[in-house]
Amino acid sequence: MTGAAASMTGNLRAVLRPSVVISVAAVLAAALLGVALIFAMGVPVLDAVAAFVDGTVGTPYAIAASINRSIAFALVGIGFVIANRANLVNVGGEGQIAMGGIAATAVALYGHVDGLPAGLPFVIPLIAAAIAGMLWGSIAGVLKIKAGTNEVISTLLLSFIAVWLLYWCVQSPALLRKPMTNSATLPESLEIPDPTKLPLLTDDYSFPVHVGLPITIVIAIVAAIVLSKTVFGLQLRAVGFNPIAASRAGISYSRMVMISLATAGALGGLAGGFMLLGEQYVLKDGFSSGYGFDGLVAGLLARGSVVGVIAAALLFGFLRSGGINMEMVAGVPTALVMVIQGLIVVTLAGAAFFIGGRRT
Amino acid sequence: MTWELFAVFIGSSLRLAVPLLLAGTGELVSERAGVLNMSIEGMMLTGAFAAAVGAWATGSPPLGLLIGIVAVFPVSLLQAVLSNTLRANQIVTGIGINILVLGATTLAYREIFGARSREEIPGLSKWSPPLLGDIPIFGQAVFQQVWLLYAGLAIIVLTALVLRYTSIGIVIHAAGAEPRAVDKSGVSVAWVRYLGVIFAGFMSALAGAFLSIGDIHTFTEGMTRGAGYLAIAAVIFGKWTVGGTVLACLLFGAATALQFQLPTLGIDVPNAFLIMLPYLLALLAVGGLAGRQTAPRALGEPYFRR
Repeated sequence: MTGAAASMTGNLRAVLRPSVVISVAAVLAAALLGVALIFAMGVPVLDAVAAFVDGTVGTPYAIAASINRSIAFALVGIGFVIANRANLVNVGGEGQIAMGGIAATAVALYGHVDGLPAGLPFVIPLIAAAIAGMLWGSIAGVLKIKAGTNEVISTLLLSFIAVWLLYWCVQSPALLRKPMTNSATLPESLEIPDPTKLPLLTDDYSFPVHVGLPITIVIAIVAAIVLSKTVFGLQLRAVGFNPIAASRAGISYSRMVMISLATAGALGGLAGGFMLLGEQYVLKDGFSSGYGFDGLVAGLLARGSVVGVIAAALLFGFLRSGGINMEMVAGVPTALVMVIQGLIVVTLAGAAFFIGGRRT
Repeated sequence: MTWELFAVFIGSSLRLAVPLLLAGTGELVSERAGVLNMSIEGMMLTGAFAAAVGAWATGSPPLGLLIGIVAVFPVSLLQAVLSNTLRANQIVTGIGINILVLGATTLAYREIFGARSREEIPGLSKWSPPLLGDIPIFGQAVFQQVWLLYAGLAIIVLTALVLRYTSIGIVIHAAGAEPRAVDKSGVSVAWVRYLGVIFAGFMSALAGAFLSIGDIHTFTEGMTRGAGYLAIAAVIFGKWTVGGTVLACLLFGAATALQFQLPTLGIDVPNAFLIMLPYLLALLAVGGLAGRQTAPRALGEPYFRR
């Protein structure tokens, strides 16, 4: 058998793994329950489904919006998977996105970057966003190795703190709030200058997918290779399985914890940067709302596979867009999407027992 | 600061600490038994929602409280089955349940109340203890509180006594520290842990009901705003003891009360910072202010017989 054929059958086997079958079944079951809930609420199911489909793939704009959303989910999800290799659970995506958004806005507005040569006006704020997220994730890492603090608790608390920092930034004229000209000035930042906005892949504004897409694809490929083909990936996995044995083998637990949580944070920050520079352009309170959790769920659903993260991120990106349109057109609250997501997570966590693996 | 303002500060610190005290004590028992129950947030939110709907529909706040307790039971059972019988990752199940509950309560709230949101809901009545209530200045401001506060404090004291002085307390402690020994002595680890989670659910239901029908007499979407996570942080800060957890909750309560007190004193601190303060304190607390952390040894590890 040639190498290519062997890897083909390998891939096929991977696709048909029981965990994948169960993931797909859980998603389908949760979606069915969603439809049942719509029915129970007395909304015509066909109208709701039509609104949902319209919001996901109905127009090029809807598709682009869904893809942009998926980019943020995918980055947070990839970060989750990297940290999870070391048996760490990063639930701080929300806060890391918020920090990334704050940093991107601050640099885009007040960093004197808009006059720089091609590319730099948006690259520098993106780097700032990634660094801000990285620092935020590193706090959890430092607490973990210095005080043994459970990273779930620390990243969650850090998220709450970041969300209120964001609120602070857009409320205070001394920080990022736009100059108050009258009492009706909204608590939000100025719009970022045009050169700092992410370029679109096509010049067509009816299909506004931004350059975050190719960057994210590159990051996903690098992450997949690093995790599965490099010594570093192996070390991360070793620390995750047995920190004591790993340290006897000369792998520093602290180093692995710091690197994985900092990387996860950086990816979350970058997601925030993309959201701000690529779509929203104005920093507002609650701009990260729900994105961190969706990314987290995408990471959970993927069961450690980067390809899985992409699939789940796309699923949730389209699910969210459809959900929003369903709320606007058919009056079904987007909270329905949360119900579906929660069910998926709970079902998969329980199903792990039946597929034998205890790890998420 | 005048005595009157100080009394109001103490009173509101206590009131704001109550949901944390109740949920924190529940979480403490669950963690002592070995289950890291991350779904406290969801359980509180379920309790807050069901109690509010119950009180609104029946017109009777005590009945609402009962409905809140009953409604949390299936959530606790789900967490218990997943974390014991199915040996699922306890953190993942907790977060899944929290997302599910946030979605479900928001959805149900919109369905039931729709445009009539922010409607005033009948709440639990206030009570002040006979002698304490008569103390000048402090009597009214500190001790005039919803009766659930006193009932809750009594349950917390009772829990502390049971944990410390009874064989039940020893078994709970052992299930989290030496589950194999518990198993060998003929007591089912699974049973102890089920009861631990269900007790946490009961306490969270009280905590949630206190938020909705005890304190503000209405329900708002996602109204727990991370209180469940603060309760978990309080348990860590309190080094898994009742006394320590209670002190941590009171500290978080006082930090929350500051956001209403400082502006009245004319002290200009950004509102966002004050809202952030309890979370910041909690982070500092779990990040080593508490010193060495002595979690139950088998915390978070599902038990199964070899």
